[in-house]
Amino acid sequence: MIRLLIALSLSLALLVLASLAFGDVSLTWMELYHSLGSTDQQSSMIVHDLRLPRVLLALLVGVALATAGTVTLAIMRNPLAEPGVLGINSGAAVTVMAVIVLVRDPPVALLQAAGFCGAAAMALAVFTLAGRGGTSSLRIILIGIGLSSLATAGTTFLSAFGEIGNVQRAMIWLAGSVYDASMVKVRLLALWLIVPLTLAFSSARELDLIRFGDSTAKSLGQPADRIRGLMIVLVTVLSGAAVAVSGLIGFVGLVAPHIARRLVGASHARILPVAALVGACLVVAADLLGRIILPPIQLPAGIVTGLVGAPFFAYLLWGRRHGR
Amino acid sequence: MAADCEHKAKISGKHIDLTYGKRRIVETLDLDVPEGRFTALIGPNGSGKSTILRAYAGLMKPSSGSILLDGRDLTDLSTGEVARKVGVLLQGPVAPEGLTVGDLVQQGRYPHRSLFSRWSAADQQACDEALTLTGTMDISDRLLDSLSGGQRQRAWIAMTLAQQGEVLLLDEPTTYLDLEHQIELMNLIKTLVDKHGKTVVAVLHDINQAARYATHIVMLKDGNVIAAGRPDNVISAKTVADVFKVKTLVIRDPVAGTPLCVPL
Repeated sequence: MIRLLIALSLSLALLVLASLAFGDVSLTWMELYHSLGSTDQQSSMIVHDLRLPRVLLALLVGVALATAGTVTLAIMRNPLAEPGVLGINSGAAVTVMAVIVLVRDPPVALLQAAGFCGAAAMALAVFTLAGRGGTSSLRIILIGIGLSSLATAGTTFLSAFGEIGNVQRAMIWLAGSVYDASMVKVRLLALWLIVPLTLAFSSARELDLIRFGDSTAKSLGQPADRIRGLMIVLVTVLSGAAVAVSGLIGFVGLVAPHIARRLVGASHARILPVAALVGACLVVAADLLGRIILPPIQLPAGIVTGLVGAPFFAYLLWGRRHGR
Repeated sequence: MAADCEHKAKISGKHIDLTYGKRRIVETLDLDVPEGRFTALIGPNGSGKSTILRAYAGLMKPSSGSILLDGRDLTDLSTGEVARKVGVLLQGPVAPEGLTVGDLVQQGRYPHRSLFSRWSAADQQACDEALTLTGTMDISDRLLDSLSGGQRQRAWIAMTLAQQGEVLLLDEPTTYLDLEHQIELMNLIKTLVDKHGKTVVAVLHDINQAARYATHIVMLKDGNVIAAGRPDNVISAKTVADVFKVKTLVIRDPVAGTPLCVPL
């Protein structure tokens, strides 16, 4: 376990350094080293002002998406359940889109608040519609998929009728991009994430048990409904904040927990940190790849995670069908 | 109902109604579970056995009436308090993928651990005891998905044992087991009752198994208690015909001396 965590942290560190070095203006390791120390050269400006906030943002988004995915997987007891599938991400997307399109130069805090409100409204709608028998995870997922299409329709509507310049910016954001990063965004996102991440990580034992379903969980004395409610709030905050800064970066919330489970087994005390690191690596790597595959075009990270994530997902299903 | 005056009631239902939505399964039921004995609930499908078990485990609130555990109303106890006293194994429990037997049994310690307490020696001991009693110690590293139905059933029972409650409620625990493991399980329950002082309630399908191993039998039909007491007093050609609609000859089990139903 310790070795795995060290290996993942090292890969993440390497990816971060590579993200700082590569791009339109590529730096050698020596230049990178020097530019980190000083603040006066041009390369230092590129690293400090452009690439560092971007890579930090990608990292935080990865952690948030992976953790939200892990928690959702546990409370829904369905291998396909992730905040994206439940419509929470699209809910956040449509409100943030509305703000980008309708408000001139929206402040970052407003975007994040909008993201949270959209995610919360969607979570609330899903669970209200699922009704009092809302513990049936398949029902919740179906309702989530339905509402998610509705939200996507809303997003499309906004993009069809919004002012063209705003829509263009919004579309790049929506495709899942961290291109517009700044230290202000990084700090705000970090603030948003502290509480839900701490709570999620300290709930490992609750997540271990709630996966068994309500009857077993309750018979062992777990207040399952209360725990599920709390977890949904956590997921909403995590997803809403992540979507607000980076749009829809798919598959991370689904893939990271599955990879983590394969690596470290069934205990959430192990899954949560590993999934968070895997998620951070995925998004940082996706952003890095998106910048260097087809320069000068910058592919949004969301497209890259889609390209890499979809085959991986197929592989997961394949492995499941054909034994371990 | 007064057949076991010498045993005080561990759990007792007073005039309870149990309903699923609008469907009333059980109406004004009085049912006592004598302390330190093996109680078998028998009756045809749909007679309310499993529902009663769920209610006695605190998983379902009676719509009226009250269920007393050691004289205290279940609704006055926290879910944690109930879980420390009552372990329950429902039918067909599902475990998440990728869990080992050991992982499963550890979950049984949930009600004994507070939010930040670490895994203690007492927790480990409880798990080891549960694994040993159920004969699952040597498969504790195996994945549940890779086990036979019988092994899996024993792993789940080990989990409820790790809970260390005084009461164990089992819904058709022998269903997936072959004859050897059925007998093993019945003997395990007997040991738990006789040597460890547990109170066990099991829903059983096999009348003869119930008669042979249980010390207290409750016969149910349409949510009502038709007869309750020692196997000798409860199982007769008349009650079996009344409850199961099957004509039988009740003879004495040549080995154990308990009543034995032979369908005619």
